[in-house]
Amino acid sequence: MNLDVVHDIQTVYKKLVAATSRPGTLVVLEREAKMLDVQMECLSSTILLALTVLDPEVTFKIISKEEEIVSRMINQLTYSKAVDLSEADFIFILQDASNEQRKDAINKAKVGNLLNPHESAMIILEVSDVTKGNSMILSGPGIHQESFICLPNVSTWMSVRNEKNIEFPLGIDMYFVDEQDRLIALPRTTQIKENGGEIKWDMLQ
Amino acid sequence: MNKTYNFAFFDEGSKREIRRATLKAIAIPGYQVPFASREMPIGRGWGTGGLQLTLSLIGKDDVLKVIDQGSDESVNAVNIKKLVSDTTGVRTTDSTADASLIQSRHRVPEVPLQKDQILILQVPLPEPLRGFEPSEHETKKLHAEREYSGAWLMLFEKIMKYGIMATDADHPVMVHDRYVMAPSPIPRFDNAKLDNSEALILLGAGREKKVYAVPPYTKVSSLAFDDYEFEIESFTNQACILCGSNDVFFDELVDEDTGETYFQCNDTSNCLEIVNQKQSLGVK
Repeated sequence: MNLDVVHDIQTVYKKLVAATSRPGTLVVLEREAKMLDVQMECLSSTILLALTVLDPEVTFKIISKEEEIVSRMINQLTYSKAVDLSEADFIFILQDASNEQRKDAINKAKVGNLLNPHESAMIILEVSDVTKGNSMILSGPGIHQESFICLPNVSTWMSVRNEKNIEFPLGIDMYFVDEQDRLIALPRTTQIKENGGEIKWDMLQ
Repeated sequence: MNKTYNFAFFDEGSKREIRRATLKAIAIPGYQVPFASREMPIGRGWGTGGLQLTLSLIGKDDVLKVIDQGSDESVNAVNIKKLVSDTTGVRTTDSTADASLIQSRHRVPEVPLQKDQILILQVPLPEPLRGFEPSEHETKKLHAEREYSGAWLMLFEKIMKYGIMATDADHPVMVHDRYVMAPSPIPRFDNAKLDNSEALILLGAGREKKVYAVPPYTKVSSLAFDDYEFEIESFTNQACILCGSNDVFFDELVDEDTGETYFQCNDTSNCLEIVNQKQSLGVK
């Protein structure tokens, strides 16, 4: 692994901050992903994010057909522990997860409580391409008026996300990574409308 | 650069912990996320919260500006700059426009912040409800229930007593119509700069072990009543004695010989830039 765990992880984090503070903005992790010459059953960006946020103080869950192998590898890389869905601080949903698994994972993710809304899960979802799929209009903090994005398989997570985020500040923050090592964040504050269609969900109403 | 220390002073575990808290803070605007707050080589209450945020963010390509109440050259700012550049080797600057990270004590720079900049504010007291509720558990409950009548009552009592809101710096703000937040002791003049800011604003309280954030383009409104509007510090008909600006925040000073008061820009680097610009244009 040629990845520099100090400097390259810092740039990943900086990009993660940029993505979270400006939801819908495309962030590219290609340079760091190239340094990471590890062959695995998940995307390079997933490992980069795991290396950035995971350590023994937090827990994670892998949703995949290869859950055992990936969990063991992430544990060896970060010393973080794999736990049940409802307890996991970070949930990685890999590309080979079925639609049911995806829905179930988001559904069971913890949303925190009103005293401690930060005790909620961050969900990292692997997709094939973060620029292709259903068109959506985003608004909310971090977005100047409105921004437009396209994401694939929206129907598999949109309605569950709406239910989880219905009572702000409770909710889940979602990060989408793709095969070209690009990242898009949809934190809980982001309101999503189908492009040209009716409002799918609306926060704070 | 001093290589006997880790890059950016911290070990990677400490950085990760602050980073996780920061990401949550950005996702929940105005909510105070607790974090471990490491022991720093400066005293708690001297900017350790801001410093920890800066160290968790900074990379080799960053350019750092540190200001202390508008000044780049006060002891606090100089020492923080020294510590960060000694342990990272990054370039420091006085110019707001050149900086990628701006750590500030009690001011938002006069030069409008840009999209690729991050403003880090040092916070002594992050809890805006502490004035009437000493218990941390109780204030957390009040935030959870969005029960802010105490915050309004504090302003109301001041109006009853003084006829105006009479708040000094740190006038509480409402973030994203959900959380009442202490904007750190920035003058009321700067409160408007938090609203719909181009740049991400992070706030760190080292002693109180809290980080919170105002993402870009987030609604931030200063608490006020319909009949008693929020007022900023008034400098009507005043101009800076050095650069002549009249739309900035001033320090009020007294000429010891004549006893007269005069005004000078609080943001020293901005003042200097304007003076230099005028001189190069030959304006007197």
